[in-house]
Amino acid sequence: MSTEDPDAGFIAAALPAFVSEAQEQVEALEQLLLQLEDRPDDRELLDALFRCAHTIKGSGGVFGLDRLVGFTHHVETLLDQLREGQVRLSPALSTLLLQCNDQISALLAVAATPDADDIEAAARREALVTQLRTVCDTGAGSAGSAPPQKCAPAGGTLRHWRLSVRFGHDTFRHGMDPLAILDYLRRLGSVSELACDLAAVPALDQIDPESCYLGFAFDLASEASRAQIDGAFDFVRDDCVLQMTEIEKSSAPREAFGRTSADEPTAPTPGVGASTESAPAPAAVTARAGTALEDTRYIRVQADRLDAVINMLGELVTASAGASLLARQTRQGSLIEANLQIASLVEEIRNGTLQLRMVPIGETFARFRRVVRDIASELDKDVTLEIVGGDTELDKSVVERIADPLMHLVRNSLDHGLETAAQRVAGGKPAQGRLTLAAWHESGSILIRISDDGRGIDRDKVLQRAWARGLVEPGVVPADADILKLIFEPGFSTAEKVTSLSGRGVGMDVVRSNIEALRGTVALSSEPGRGSHVEIRLPLTLAIIDGFLVSVGSSKFIFPLDSVVEVIERRTPVTALDAQGRCIVELRGRPLPVLDLRGLYALDTSAPDRSSVVVIRCGPSSFGVMVDQLLGQHQTVIKPLSRMFRSLRGMSGSSILGNGEVALIFDVHTLNQLAVEPPASSRLTPRQLNHTGASATIYSQGQ
Amino acid sequence: MSSLLSLPRELTVYTVGELHGRCLEALSAWSAPPEDALEVDAAEVEEVDAAGLQWLLSLSYGAAGEGREFALAEPSTALRRACEALGMNDWLRACAVDPSPGGRGSMSASFGGMA
Repeated sequence: MSTEDPDAGFIAAALPAFVSEAQEQVEALEQLLLQLEDRPDDRELLDALFRCAHTIKGSGGVFGLDRLVGFTHHVETLLDQLREGQVRLSPALSTLLLQCNDQISALLAVAATPDADDIEAAARREALVTQLRTVCDTGAGSAGSAPPQKCAPAGGTLRHWRLSVRFGHDTFRHGMDPLAILDYLRRLGSVSELACDLAAVPALDQIDPESCYLGFAFDLASEASRAQIDGAFDFVRDDCVLQMTEIEKSSAPREAFGRTSADEPTAPTPGVGASTESAPAPAAVTARAGTALEDTRYIRVQADRLDAVINMLGELVTASAGASLLARQTRQGSLIEANLQIASLVEEIRNGTLQLRMVPIGETFARFRRVVRDIASELDKDVTLEIVGGDTELDKSVVERIADPLMHLVRNSLDHGLETAAQRVAGGKPAQGRLTLAAWHESGSILIRISDDGRGIDRDKVLQRAWARGLVEPGVVPADADILKLIFEPGFSTAEKVTSLSGRGVGMDVVRSNIEALRGTVALSSEPGRGSHVEIRLPLTLAIIDGFLVSVGSSKFIFPLDSVVEVIERRTPVTALDAQGRCIVELRGRPLPVLDLRGLYALDTSAPDRSSVVVIRCGPSSFGVMVDQLLGQHQTVIKPLSRMFRSLRGMSGSSILGNGEVALIFDVHTLNQLAVEPPASSRLTPRQLNHTGASATIYSQGQ
Repeated sequence: MSSLLSLPRELTVYTVGELHGRCLEALSAWSAPPEDALEVDAAEVEEVDAAGLQWLLSLSYGAAGEGREFALAEPSTALRRACEALGMNDWLRACAVDPSPGGRGSMSASFGGMA
């Protein structure tokens, strides 16, 4: 076997990990670039940008991705000039950098197939490189004209730096050698005034010989850029406190290479350790080290392994419920107790494991900054994106699958909702449009709202279109809320001209079905002239919930525990049961709509003498459900309903109980609609408007 | 004067842990009068890194703590270079002992033999 084979094998195995990590860097680059537009002089942003590009280039080199390395090198050069203050960020430059970033992303996408480079892509890359070069050249030329820092000479001149570095205890253990770093720096320039801080080295009986206790202070005269010098510390970044300042030094460096500090006092400089804390400059450096430390607290886990664990956990929950049941049947106190303990441990494991999959939605939201920026400029609109509640967490698989629907809704708002600056001013609104992405938790679900302050939805136009498309009988005028729901019907589009962004009429119904596939609902509200809101309600997780188990006759049902407010004894209804098994009871002086499951699902059993009403909260409203027996809390592993049962309204899934029985899980939201919708007229609205659990929120409640 | 120990060829983070353990053992068995210097033989050192130098420094601190002198016998070129590169020249000058004819040899207890 030749020596190259194992290498090739290693590279092939490691490449996917590299690509996914590099894609994260690309995303970070994009966010940083967008932030930089607001704060063009932010040193930390500039440093972070450079580091991202540098990392991509560096690790790309390891994998021999020459195209990627070559291209990223040009980007890196420009970023370096940016942070050296030789080039100023302009909107055009920002756009160029964003395009370059896209190009890096594209190159990463084809990293696994080295031969797949079409001429078109190569030409596009070449064009970008030419632009980058032009900017770099003008930057270097005009460096003297607008130096934001006290000293920003072009590359090639000798600059003097004073560095002090204190290494962390783990430096050696991470395979790093301060001696090697010094050697590397000596290749960049000449080191002088070297003082090693030996004071922290403990005596023999106290030393851990593999811990590092060293620090240095020295001057470096070099033609290298700050980035290059800084780069020497890349591999110990997390382990050291580095302070680097440029100093004035008119005289030539006193010492040549190799003759460093023979004449210098090498007594430990007391300042080395202390100055790093007290000097103002290293704040940025230490802050960066802090974030780097946070990064190391993450472990990369393959998603399917996590899924496998969660699947097993589902089985465990079911099995544990079965064991508890058997234990109760034996009536042996100690066995029941042991099972209770197991059940509570299983619950803790369940919560902990599901927590592993939770990610903040902010990352998904942040991606829309670029979308909003690009589309708004394409449409010549001035739009600001506001993000609220980005730290709201939800299941990763939900986050991934909600991104597309969100994209469509955001594009819709930008395209149809928000007006141009001129139209807005004419309408008495601020010239800059506002698009808000908000997320928050509400009783076991997450709510995502996309709102804009644009022109709102023209109900007449919607109605005209619906008549034209045959979605509603011509001449029939449904209720206001129902008109807006028509937008979610297949084949509906109100755009007068079809644009590349939206209005192809394939959008909103797909958005709705995507959201429904996640057991979620979507609702739309709009105020003409003031804007529109789309509210998406999603379950927190797709796998396991805390349920409340009840029975009606021999059938078992589960409510999500979060939505249960209280349980009351059945009382005499104020109204008689109607055809759909509904009545009203009085609860603390207020009417409460109550559903009788026997009537609703035509269960063929007789009611017992005593029964209870479970009071359920859904958003701001509540309703009751009549049940025979309360069977208590139940950890519910959600299984999807088979196709046959999809038409059953008010159900979101099924679950297998400990004894093998199947229980149906209520979808509180649609159940609420069943409880409150007007009795007769609702039957006349088109059936598909309200099918299985989606889109039918009544607006006064949604807000 | 005899060396307490000879430093190994490789004085790096990979050997320093083991060396440290052996040295502590040797020191506890060492019963030289306090006016004797703690001497280590550094002629063999070919490879040295910052961890190795740091450990030597710590050894010298330990000797100083007991009021002993610390002597580095015949520091090799590699060791001298590393001291210079790390800015430890003064320390080296203070404790280096020039080679003297017959000064070392059979008397020095080789550390490898003790383990």
